[in-house]
Amino acid sequence: MKTRARKMAPLAGAFATAMALCPQLAFAAESEEETGGISAIMPDMLEFVPMLVAFIILWIILAKFGWPMFAGMLEKRENTIREALKQSEDAKIESERVLAEYKKQLADAKAEATKVVAEARETGEAVRQSIQDKAQADAQDMIAKARTTIEAEKKAAMAELQASIADTSVDVAAKLIGNDLTEGEHRAIIERYVKEAGSFNG
Amino acid sequence: MANRLVEQGKVQVYASTMFDAANDAGGTDEVVSVRNQMEHLRHLIYADMDLSLALKDASYTPMQRHDLAKAVFADCEVALCETLAVMAEEGDVDLLGQVYHAYEEIMADKLKTCVVDVTTVVSLDDSLRQLISAKAEKDLGCKAVLNESIDKSILGGIIMSVNGMRIDASVISQLNRARYVLKETDGGESQ
Repeated sequence: MKTRARKMAPLAGAFATAMALCPQLAFAAESEEETGGISAIMPDMLEFVPMLVAFIILWIILAKFGWPMFAGMLEKRENTIREALKQSEDAKIESERVLAEYKKQLADAKAEATKVVAEARETGEAVRQSIQDKAQADAQDMIAKARTTIEAEKKAAMAELQASIADTSVDVAAKLIGNDLTEGEHRAIIERYVKEAGSFNG
Repeated sequence: MANRLVEQGKVQVYASTMFDAANDAGGTDEVVSVRNQMEHLRHLIYADMDLSLALKDASYTPMQRHDLAKAVFADCEVALCETLAVMAEEGDVDLLGQVYHAYEEIMADKLKTCVVDVTTVVSLDDSLRQLISAKAEKDLGCKAVLNESIDKSILGGIIMSVNGMRIDASVISQLNRARYVLKETDGGESQ
């Protein structure tokens, strides 16, 4: 941009000079034809020329000293903006990297949390199954013991009942035999028993 | 060992003396009668502690024990009474059980006779006596003499015993066996 400004400076000077001279000639032609109104707004050449010279001098001075300073400021400003943009770009890239890293960490954290939850769920399920199995085993054991106890009590009751029935039956039979049999029947029993009895030697 | 042999010698002397005396006095009937009375007396002496102790009490003189025995057993057969008096005099009343068995052996050996103790609820008639005698003679190979007794507690049937051998065909025993079977069997519950 500085080089371009330098190239443009002579062209601008020539253009300004032409423009400064041309109106003077036009105004001179018109002044020859008309001496009234237009001359009122036209500059006085005696004033115009020094002003033009002063302008040109000022322009040269500015082109020589002011414009490079202005161009330097622009370049500096441009560099500053470029640097700011670059920093902004870097910051953007960094922020995207950090964001990606955060997202990755978040994803890892989510995966870890999911894994922990799954492990906790599995552990809980295992504990629940263990407790359930133990409870079932205890229940089965209690049922078995209860059945054994019931069976033993049932057998004891049956044995007691059986003994009672046996005693009663035998007592009744003894009373019937003792009271109801005649002597002849007793003798018949004796005869039968003697015939059926085993040997004294056996 | 010597004491046991001496004791066996005494038992044989008492038994043979008593047998000879009974046999001389009344033959087989007397011998059987002595045997039956002795069988009854041995249970009586064992059951009556006072009598048993008195007959062997060392504080009495032998003659006092002799006289005591003769007085107590005066209603028994003479052979038995005299033998018991001598046993009491010698302090050998405790040998009465062994004397009884030796007496039975002598009976079987010399008279070819054995006494069968028969216990029933009712008295035996001749046909039953014949039946029982025939069975005993067939089993034992000697003449059988029945010693009958009635015991209502056996409820029915018969109990026969001879020379320590016993056949219990009483109703009470069969009922007791039935009672045992009914109590001990579980009615198939254990199957």
